[in-house]
Amino acid sequence: MPFREKTAWAMALILIGGAAFYLYMIISASRALGQTAPPIVGFVIAYVVVIVIASVILMAALAATSPREANAPADEREKIIGDKAGNWAGYVMVVPALGGLWHYAVNMDGNMLFHLVFLSLMLGQIADYVFQVVLYRRGV
Amino acid sequence: MAKAPPITNRIRDLREQHGSMSQSALAEAIGVTRQTIIAIELGKYSPSLESAFRIARVFDLGVEDVFGWEA
Repeated sequence: MPFREKTAWAMALILIGGAAFYLYMIISASRALGQTAPPIVGFVIAYVVVIVIASVILMAALAATSPREANAPADEREKIIGDKAGNWAGYVMVVPALGGLWHYAVNMDGNMLFHLVFLSLMLGQIADYVFQVVLYRRGV
Repeated sequence: MAKAPPITNRIRDLREQHGSMSQSALAEAIGVTRQTIIAIELGKYSPSLESAFRIARVFDLGVEDVFGWEA
């Protein structure tokens, strides 16, 4: 498996795990409160920091196993895969963000708007890596 | 699987004819990864015009001697 496909798998798994944890926390807190839980800035910052640290550790571990591939710049096919995946991920990102805007316009629920916009950022990144894996496997 | 582009190639045969040149050696010669050479050989990826010329030059051939259009 090429190095960049491995990193895409690793990042997708980290981000899916992170998103699942975030959603679990928000849903649990909302159930306990009986309404949409407000954003907790400290939790969001801690979440981002943990994701970044986990990504750096995993990337370093993968790079140590194939240092030559890790140092090589992306070739033309890998650049096309990155571009296509990023483009498609943009469409995925829009869906929860628009849902959040619609929900806010109807229900004036700013907390839900925050969570849906944050979810759209997470889903956009997840989709980017998932599409990369798909394109590496099925061809550009 | 994505629809294969209608471009054929003889890269695998040409590698064999050139002292069983490895995919890695060809990849290094033209500046792409081995996976990209594999994808080209399998018809899953159409190389850029520049890479097509580079591949042809490795084998001392013209582009049309290496690549063809599936009619």
